[in-house]
Amino acid sequence: MSRRGLKYWAIFKTQLINGFAYPGDLLARSLSIIIFLWVFLFLWRTTYRAVGQERIAGLSLRDTLWYLMLAETIVLSKPRLSSTIAEAVRDGSIAYLLNKPYNFLLYQLSVGLGDSILRLAFNALAGGLLVGLTVGPPPPLWGWPLTLVTVIAAWLIDFCIAATIGLTAFVTEDVAAFEWIYQKVTFILGGLLIPLDFFPAWLQAVAQALPFAYTVYGPARLFVEPDGGRFVTLLLTQGAWLAALGMLLALLYRKGVTWLTINGG
Amino acid sequence: MRRELTFLLALWKANLLSAMEYRAAFISQVIGMMLNNAVYFAFWVIFFDRFQEVRGWGLDEMLLLFAVVAVSFGLGVYLFGNVMRIAEAIANGRLDYYLSLPRPVLLHLLASRSIASGFGDFLYGLICFAVAGRWTPDAVARFVVGSLLSMIVFLSFLILVQSLAFWMGSATLVSAQAANALLTFSLYPITLFDGTAKFLLFTILPAAFIGAVPAEFVRTFSWSTLAHLLLAASLLLTLAVALFQRGLRRYESGSAIQVQV
Repeated sequence: MSRRGLKYWAIFKTQLINGFAYPGDLLARSLSIIIFLWVFLFLWRTTYRAVGQERIAGLSLRDTLWYLMLAETIVLSKPRLSSTIAEAVRDGSIAYLLNKPYNFLLYQLSVGLGDSILRLAFNALAGGLLVGLTVGPPPPLWGWPLTLVTVIAAWLIDFCIAATIGLTAFVTEDVAAFEWIYQKVTFILGGLLIPLDFFPAWLQAVAQALPFAYTVYGPARLFVEPDGGRFVTLLLTQGAWLAALGMLLALLYRKGVTWLTINGG
Repeated sequence: MRRELTFLLALWKANLLSAMEYRAAFISQVIGMMLNNAVYFAFWVIFFDRFQEVRGWGLDEMLLLFAVVAVSFGLGVYLFGNVMRIAEAIANGRLDYYLSLPRPVLLHLLASRSIASGFGDFLYGLICFAVAGRWTPDAVARFVVGSLLSMIVFLSFLILVQSLAFWMGSATLVSAQAANALLTFSLYPITLFDGTAKFLLFTILPAAFIGAVPAEFVRTFSWSTLAHLLLAASLLLTLAVALFQRGLRRYESGSAIQVQV
């Protein structure tokens, strides 16, 4: 690894180790996934019974619940960077971070990923236990490493979008509204609340044409139905979105730094 | 009582004037929250487009449920914005400021802050009610009564949970999870749950009294539903105030210098 890469690796590791200092906190946070999955369990169990079919749009109840487990794990564990970045822009502390010997965005990414990995483990464990005990065993083990790779790619795409939202604070100062809307768009078009397979065909096409589906639906669907071809297609699509959104973010960052106005000191 | 009401009105006026100083931020939060809720509701539109109804609940029932929960939650956090921060105030010794003034501590603490996005929730709830199409005067009256009682249950439950900070020290995470669970469960059809789950939603986590029961009351008038709602709201409010007052006797400040801005 290059010296530059080592620097961010060290930041990532420090943040990861930091997470181990608060295991109680992590456990308490994983209560959220239990709450959401418990509600989903009731909703989808009732729905499958009402429809009277073993499979809906190719997914069984067990598939749907394991899909939702991974989708919730991805979203609940991901780095929450929009507000952190926006806060740094708004209160001017970005000025102190800009003259440090690291790239501001890569620093935020390393910190965010360091936080997320442990949260991922705890959420997956808590959610997996609930789903495993109520609807049956998880999808085949060999698909898990492939899924993990696509989850990391999903987080990177999410980072580009979240950081872009955070950096709009250079212009708008308050980014909360954008953050909520992005979150809810992920809920629907990303497939967090309902797999895209249950959408009407036209909406499925719209969702697949946008990046949000590759931050949640793609990895979660691969998890319940692992397949080499699906993995390669997903990773290539994620790579294309990552390149496009990464360029947009870099451009906005460069422009934003030149607009930066610090009030007071 | 009249004195407290005048005091409340003065606090709300001050909060509104303060929000108007940052008008653009206020408007963006209100509109943002309305859009946010609309996108979230799209889940139910998609769901019922595919499955039509689940145990007697369809899109119309969901509209009324969202109307009641959005109005009660929105109004609650707009008028009593500190309800989400009681545990934090206790843990950080921020009650000193309220204790030193000749006004009811809990009321003063709750109404000292206003969450702008709550107004967006409130407006969104009104839109849902309008779209649900129950425009008769008696349905409007039931909607007002149901939403207000739902708001009392919501505020009381949060006061109860957050007051645990007097004994636990830090109850911020527990309160956040409890609020999260309360809202999540209140936004789903009650008929999905049975047995123990249903019992919990009517007792320990009273989400049914925030969503399903008041929504049912708006749909059809019934003395027994009204009585249940009134009983739940008054019982929880009494418990919440009593627990907060009891906890206040244990409160220890860190004597930090506080400035209320």
